[in-house]
Amino acid sequence: MSAQHAPRVLIIDDEPDVSVYLTTILSQHGYEVETASSSEAAWACLSQSTPQLVCLDIMMPRESGFSLYTRMKADARLRSIPVLIISGVAQAKDFDFREYVSDKAIPPPAGYFEKPIDVALFIETITSLAAELSARTGDVHA
Amino acid sequence: MPDRTRPWTVTWTQHELLEQMPFNVAVIDRDYNVVEANSAFEESFGSWKGHKCFEVYKGLRKPCPNCEIMATFTDGVVRVTDEVGTDQHGHTAHYVVHSSPLHTKPGGSVDYVLEMSRNVVDTDRWQREYQILFDRVPCYIAIIDRDFRIIRSNAAFRDQFGDDAGRHCYEVYKKRKRKCPHCPAAKSFKDGATHKSNQVGINKSGERTHYVVTTAPLTRRGQRPEHIIEISTDVTELKKLEDEKIEAERLAAVGQTVAGLAHSVKNILMGLEGGKYIVGLGLQKEDKAMISQGWDILERNFDKTTSLVKDFLSFAKGRLPRVRMVDPNELVTEIVDLYREVARRSHIDLQAEITPGMKPAPLDPNGLHTCLTNLVSNSLDACQMSEQRNCRVVVRCKSEKGNVIFEVQDNGLGMDYELKSKIFTTFFTTKGGEGTGLGLLTTRKIGQGHGGKITIRTKKGEGSRFRITLPRKRLMALLTMAKEAA
Repeated sequence: MSAQHAPRVLIIDDEPDVSVYLTTILSQHGYEVETASSSEAAWACLSQSTPQLVCLDIMMPRESGFSLYTRMKADARLRSIPVLIISGVAQAKDFDFREYVSDKAIPPPAGYFEKPIDVALFIETITSLAAELSARTGDVHA
Repeated sequence: MPDRTRPWTVTWTQHELLEQMPFNVAVIDRDYNVVEANSAFEESFGSWKGHKCFEVYKGLRKPCPNCEIMATFTDGVVRVTDEVGTDQHGHTAHYVVHSSPLHTKPGGSVDYVLEMSRNVVDTDRWQREYQILFDRVPCYIAIIDRDFRIIRSNAAFRDQFGDDAGRHCYEVYKKRKRKCPHCPAAKSFKDGATHKSNQVGINKSGERTHYVVTTAPLTRRGQRPEHIIEISTDVTELKKLEDEKIEAERLAAVGQTVAGLAHSVKNILMGLEGGKYIVGLGLQKEDKAMISQGWDILERNFDKTTSLVKDFLSFAKGRLPRVRMVDPNELVTEIVDLYREVARRSHIDLQAEITPGMKPAPLDPNGLHTCLTNLVSNSLDACQMSEQRNCRVVVRCKSEKGNVIFEVQDNGLGMDYELKSKIFTTFFTTKGGEGTGLGLLTTRKIGQGHGGKITIRTKKGEGSRFRITLPRKRLMALLTMAKEAA
């Protein structure tokens, strides 16, 4: 994977240790990573640049991850960015997006990972999403 | 040979005297004739002139059997009898008759009988109504004397607490052998005022009975009470419902807490996994900086585990506050002394504002210590996170409108509406990995356990003031409960 083509991932989590962990994993696999410690900080990042993927925590002070997700999906520029929710709110097998966001106009996320994550599955999912994106845009990332 | 009866004559003075008497007066001769009567009598029984007493009183055609008047004619003895007759409207009349012999000659035979009667229909009805009310009113009533013996009680009381004849109230209400501490009746005997308190008794089946008792002196104002009336409302069912509601809320809170706890544990596990991953990667790459970074993460998350367990145990303590008389000023001074060094290192001015001469209050010193520790710790954090240069935290206590008040005020970060609405949510924290989100919740729980509340005044960028308001009355009730439990 060449540096200039590396897909950029935005990690949004108020736990600095989680951000460092995910950054390390993704960097090891050739992704370019940006972090934000709150929904407000993430919105500021998103208004300046458009990442190819977003990893989003849910339980954050002030504005929750679901609120930010809803705002992203309502924004024409950000709507198509795949979002992986990484949280401890529910077990992966029980996670039902509609329990948290009932508005059917808001599509479910690209994936849900329960903390602590299964690293191999996480990388596999990210790789697969990146491949889908590159196929869609005709760009070559991997 | 009996004396010849003198004809009945009445002077103007005697007539006026009869008229002024506040009851019915009639004079009867030996032939049952009503020879004189006052207006009150006429108003009660109608026309009397030319009529026999049995006709006027009872509408009979012949003398009453066992005629009391004739008995007085015979033996000259004054008699008081209860009679049932008919008034001039045909209604049954209950009256008390006082029959006195009249002699026209001193030492002679009885010539006439003076009958003074009073209608007791109303009095009798009131007595019956009062008795029904006394027995059927939906509360327990007992009247006690200065020896705390029950001299009267209503049926509801006896149904609930059993036989009370001549027994001490504390034996009957609570099956105790000695007077109850903080007895409201004793207070009423002492100050002649009405007192009210919550009590727990034992009914005749040995079950606990919760009741609210009001004690009042049975005396005119200013006189020393000889008897106290105790009126109690049974709140056992209400208490049961309240306990069930509290239990339901507790279970709901347990569910919420367990979910929150699981979430916090997952975050810590994620941190531990992260630390392990980075240390592993560092070892693999022989990258000391990376190993060190991973190790730091591991350490932090082990510390978080300790904090979480400690805070959770503190939150999970379900006991009643262990109250004893405590000087609020001493508590405040103790907390400020505890944090003085921490504040100094962070260049925060930490001050105690006490109220000299403030009365001690029944408080759980350990619980209040936890509350104030949490609040001061939060305020210091809010100051450290703010851009304010001259940060100040004040811890104060004061008395206001029968309340004991503790306040922790800072000029730190402050909160907006959304944040303020979330701070009492389980496991909510603004401190990222540093907080467990249980501090304020524990503080609120302890405050509520003392019968009080916690209020916040805050403005983003200007600081916050947390106030714990504890009503002295409720604190006293806690002290009473604690003493009774002991």
